[in-house]
Amino acid sequence: MASQAVKRTIKEVKPILSVDREEARKRVLNLYKAWYRQLPYIVKAYDIPKNVEQCRERLREEFTKHDHFPDIRVIDMLVIKGQMELKEIVNVWKQKGHVMTYFKDSLEPKPKDFLSKFLSGKE
Amino acid sequence: MKRGDWYKTKEILLKGPDWIVNELKVSGLRGRGGAGFPTGMKWSFMNRPSDGRPRYLVVNADEGEPGTCKDREIMRHDPHKLVEGCLIAGKAIGAKAAYIYIRGEFYNEASNMQVAIAEAYQAGFLGKNACGSGYDFDVFMHRGAGAYICGEETALIESIEGKQGKPRLKPPFPADVGVFGCPTTVNNVETIAVAPTICRRGGTWFASFGRTRNSGTKLFNISGHVNRPCTVEEEMSIPLKELIQKHAGDVTGGWDNLLAIIPGGSSTPLIPKKVCEDAIMDFDGLVACQTSLGTAAIIVMDKSTDIVLAIARLLMFYKHESCGQCTPCREGVPWMNKMIYRFVDGNAKPEEIDMLWEISKQVEGHSICALADGAAWPVQGLIRHFRPELEERMRKFHEKQSASC
Amino acid sequence: MLRITFTKVLNGAKLSPKHIYVATRAQSGEVKKPEKVEVFIDDKPVYVEPGTTVLQAAAMIGVEIPRFCYHERLAVAGNCRMCLVEVEKSPKPVAACAMPVMKGWRIKTDSEMTRKAREGIMEFLLVNHPLDCPICDQGGECDLQDQSMAFGSDRSRFTDIEFSGKRAVEDKDIGPLIKTIMTRCIHCTRCIRFASEVAGVDDLGTTGRGNDMQVGTYVEKLFMSELSGNIIDLCPVGALTSKPYSFTARPWEIRKVDSIDVLDAVGSNIIVSTRTGEVMRIVPRVNEEINEEWLADKSRFAYDGLKRQRLVTPMIRDCNGELKPVDWEAALLTVAKVIKNAGSQVGAIAGGLADAEVLVAVKDLLNKLGSEALCTEHTFPLDGSGTDLRSSYLLNNKIAGVEEADLVLLIGTNPRLEAPLLNSRLRKGWIHNELQVALIGPKVDLRYDYEHLGDDAKVLKEIVSGRHQFSSKLKSAKKPLIIVGSELLERADGAAVLSAVQTLAANTPSQDKDWKVLNILHKVASQVAAFDIGYTPGVDKIREGNLKALLLIGADEGAIDKSDLPQDCFVIYQGHHGDQGASIADAILPGAAYTEKQATYVNTEGRAQETLVAVTAPGRAREDWKIIRALSEIIGAKLPYDNLNEIRCRLEEVAPHLTRYGSAEEANYFKQAEQLAKKIKIQLDECTPIDVKIKELQDYFMTDAITRASPTMAKCVQAVLKQKQSKY
Repeated sequence: MASQAVKRTIKEVKPILSVDREEARKRVLNLYKAWYRQLPYIVKAYDIPKNVEQCRERLREEFTKHDHFPDIRVIDMLVIKGQMELKEIVNVWKQKGHVMTYFKDSLEPKPKDFLSKFLSGKE
Repeated sequence: MKRGDWYKTKEILLKGPDWIVNELKVSGLRGRGGAGFPTGMKWSFMNRPSDGRPRYLVVNADEGEPGTCKDREIMRHDPHKLVEGCLIAGKAIGAKAAYIYIRGEFYNEASNMQVAIAEAYQAGFLGKNACGSGYDFDVFMHRGAGAYICGEETALIESIEGKQGKPRLKPPFPADVGVFGCPTTVNNVETIAVAPTICRRGGTWFASFGRTRNSGTKLFNISGHVNRPCTVEEEMSIPLKELIQKHAGDVTGGWDNLLAIIPGGSSTPLIPKKVCEDAIMDFDGLVACQTSLGTAAIIVMDKSTDIVLAIARLLMFYKHESCGQCTPCREGVPWMNKMIYRFVDGNAKPEEIDMLWEISKQVEGHSICALADGAAWPVQGLIRHFRPELEERMRKFHEKQSASC
Repeated sequence: MLRITFTKVLNGAKLSPKHIYVATRAQSGEVKKPEKVEVFIDDKPVYVEPGTTVLQAAAMIGVEIPRFCYHERLAVAGNCRMCLVEVEKSPKPVAACAMPVMKGWRIKTDSEMTRKAREGIMEFLLVNHPLDCPICDQGGECDLQDQSMAFGSDRSRFTDIEFSGKRAVEDKDIGPLIKTIMTRCIHCTRCIRFASEVAGVDDLGTTGRGNDMQVGTYVEKLFMSELSGNIIDLCPVGALTSKPYSFTARPWEIRKVDSIDVLDAVGSNIIVSTRTGEVMRIVPRVNEEINEEWLADKSRFAYDGLKRQRLVTPMIRDCNGELKPVDWEAALLTVAKVIKNAGSQVGAIAGGLADAEVLVAVKDLLNKLGSEALCTEHTFPLDGSGTDLRSSYLLNNKIAGVEEADLVLLIGTNPRLEAPLLNSRLRKGWIHNELQVALIGPKVDLRYDYEHLGDDAKVLKEIVSGRHQFSSKLKSAKKPLIIVGSELLERADGAAVLSAVQTLAANTPSQDKDWKVLNILHKVASQVAAFDIGYTPGVDKIREGNLKALLLIGADEGAIDKSDLPQDCFVIYQGHHGDQGASIADAILPGAAYTEKQATYVNTEGRAQETLVAVTAPGRAREDWKIIRALSEIIGAKLPYDNLNEIRCRLEEVAPHLTRYGSAEEANYFKQAEQLAKKIKIQLDECTPIDVKIKELQDYFMTDAITRASPTMAKCVQAVLKQKQSKY
């Protein structure tokens, strides 16, 4: 019984990195800044058909997509992922196509109705 | 006729099949073809009620076993004994006709048989109302084309039917499904030829010869290194030594010059001199010596014989005569043949002797017919009794090899 | 020969194990079942009928005894000796495949003796078997490989390899389909037994004795059978392999898809093996009710036709009269415009390879446009009950039922080449069941004896009226069958023929109530489904229709050509091969072949079965019903189904049995059909002799768009023609 209780307690409090919300917030802001500063270099290094402004817009979009998470552990995890992603890009471990996948939303939407699916060869 | 054939045949026939079969059972006659199956019992298998199919008697005159020449003697000199035997055996099993499957090489014998059959027809002994007994019986001759395997009863049946001479699976036995799908009894020439005499003189008379379960008289063929090779009819259970000394004029160079004897045709294991001293020539006596009576074709080999080469030659024969139908015989016998020819020169390792023994055991008893057994046994006999000889040859060969290098 | 008398079976005479299978089958009917005997297999008791072999008894409790020569559908040879097992109190091991069990036997399938025997046999088999598994096409699906892993010794002691080596045998040339590497042969004789028992072609046999024994055709010749490919499957080693498939793929790298064959009306079950989006080979799938485990050569080897002569892009005939590739949008717009303008003056002809989905889609579309000109390429009598009652166009008694018949009358058909697997059933009945066959039509080689009643239509009339000597036989038969070739019904007097046979069937009594005497044998896979959906047989309607647009759905047999149509008729061909139909078309819409779509086919018995997608259609080709669906939307008569499920629902609405896959829907109303048939006015044309198109083996191989495009099939035709000239 006792050990179970301990387990539960540990489970509840076990943090990933940040102990409170404030710390998590700092981490997020740091990551954002890091990305923000790297963007011009990324645009250059990968020679993508987007300018820095568009990239910044996309960056902001990406961060605001996740702004509603209350759990700091989720936030921490996203931050870790974001760091990894940034590292990969900065070190040019990726290729142009990989970077451009961030802008995939701008691609044509998938055909929905039968005829357009047929004509596009999707069905 | 003057030899007593066709005497009172009608009376015998009229006594009916049950009496004949019973007489045969009393006589204790065992099949003379090699396996030694009691003939009376074999015939009684045919006594079941008829299901509409005709029955046949097939006489196995495809005497191909090296060393054996007993049936040839009968057909050459006494064909009427066989013809009369066919009639009586045919009556006993209720057969419609008899087929005599004669070996293709026996040209003169086949001619003699044909003459005898023709004579019997002319005298009214065969054909419709044979011997005036009211029983219709025909005898046909069928000449083989010289395959040893056609001496196996089911292969013989296939051959009569005009197919490739390849043994059939048993069961069903020929007594159920034989020639042309009808019940058939296959008997050796000697078995059939002796039947009339048994019937005339009574089963007890025949049983008085030899030991119990091995009764009767038998043709013995003595060949090889003896002074007078011959075929003689002797009582069963005669000691081997006596037989050779009495009828064949002893081994060349005297009894002490004997190396080994193959007592029952090529497919039986050989026995060395020390076993020959007190071997008794009958079914059980030879089984006790780890060999068998087979066709009672005694092949005598004196000390001048290259025993390994002799067995190798026998194996070559079996390799050549294997029908190739089932695996152990098709693949195993040529393999043994290859090995033993290397043993002749000694070009092998001593471990391979054990391997050959094992292979011969793998061949034995795993095939459809007994040809593979017949090929395995001589090898086993050789290894059993002459292993030191084999090892000696290998040692010499390897010495010579290393010397030349 | 192989025939055994039925009386012999009934008398309970002991038969050779060859016949036990039949004997037990025959006994299961009227003869009282004998008591079962108890035997013990590995100490487990099992009750079996007397006459069961050790191997079968072991199989009953799930013990599989290794074997090479034994095969369920062939006679027992008992020569490989792999199945040796120990029986208690027997000094020698017995061959399980041939030995019937005796009461109280204790059989040990895994004892020391048994294992020793197997190991010995395995060693002997491998002594002369080449170690070329890495370059052997059987590698990976080889019985010898598997069994030597399971039962063989762990080391080799074949010391003679250093002295004399292994046996080598010259390869045989037995035709363009089967590659032989005879050194690999282990002489199990399965191929020989198949050839003489199932195929009925005694071309294969053994020559030589002992170690020199060879399996082959005695003289160099073609293995002249329409079922020859099956010996590839039967061969337990790589001695017989598929020539077209050789060195193309390995069994572990192919993807297998269950499917249905559509090159004849039998609907054999197949497995399509694919790799890298290509059909590598086709092998049969067991279906006891249809093809057992055999497959006809055309179905097995015509797959290379799927890669050649394909239509890969839509095409439109331009002003110079040449077909020019266009994209789907343009093609559909053009075609839609034409059809729209044609209004109700639009027709469709369905060819032999069309599936049920496209048939129903086309029918719905044309009906929406107000047209009823929906026809099948192969005609059928319309008078009397016509295609309204299913009983008059199905093989009512089912393919498997043929085996039980005791008298079969074939009229105007050559089953050996029109439906080889039906013929193999007939032959099976002929061998094992005392089946008697009679034939009205040209004298063809069926590989079994039959009574030839002549090729005169008069004979049929005489039999119907009971004046012919054959009538009494037909009357006294217990289970008579009449099989009519669909080709005969395509004649001008087809209706009269149908009416005649319907009357004959009605007048022929059968003892079994469920026994159907009348059977129609179709030649193409689409026909039954087309009739079920409501297509009109024959193209007369098209000829009369004064059409402005004609849609050919894989119609390649040249039933109609330009001269039959009005000058301004626009011909649209939808199909997968550039054949007859495509050449007269003004627009081409490329469809998918049977290996490329999930589609429904109904075989000649009325059994619905579906093919599955094995590979994607090449180029811009699309599944057929989808093309029609897309076209309908552009025309403005949108069909109400967007996916497979929805169109299958529509199929079910039209005819519920079309989606009951695997089961054959029985027909009824035989009486009514016969009564309607009496009203037929057309007289039987007695002057024209009854004929069939496919008479000899060389006619068999190329019969449709796929097989005509297949190089293998072309080679077969050449090989057969060459063989015909040979003196053997």
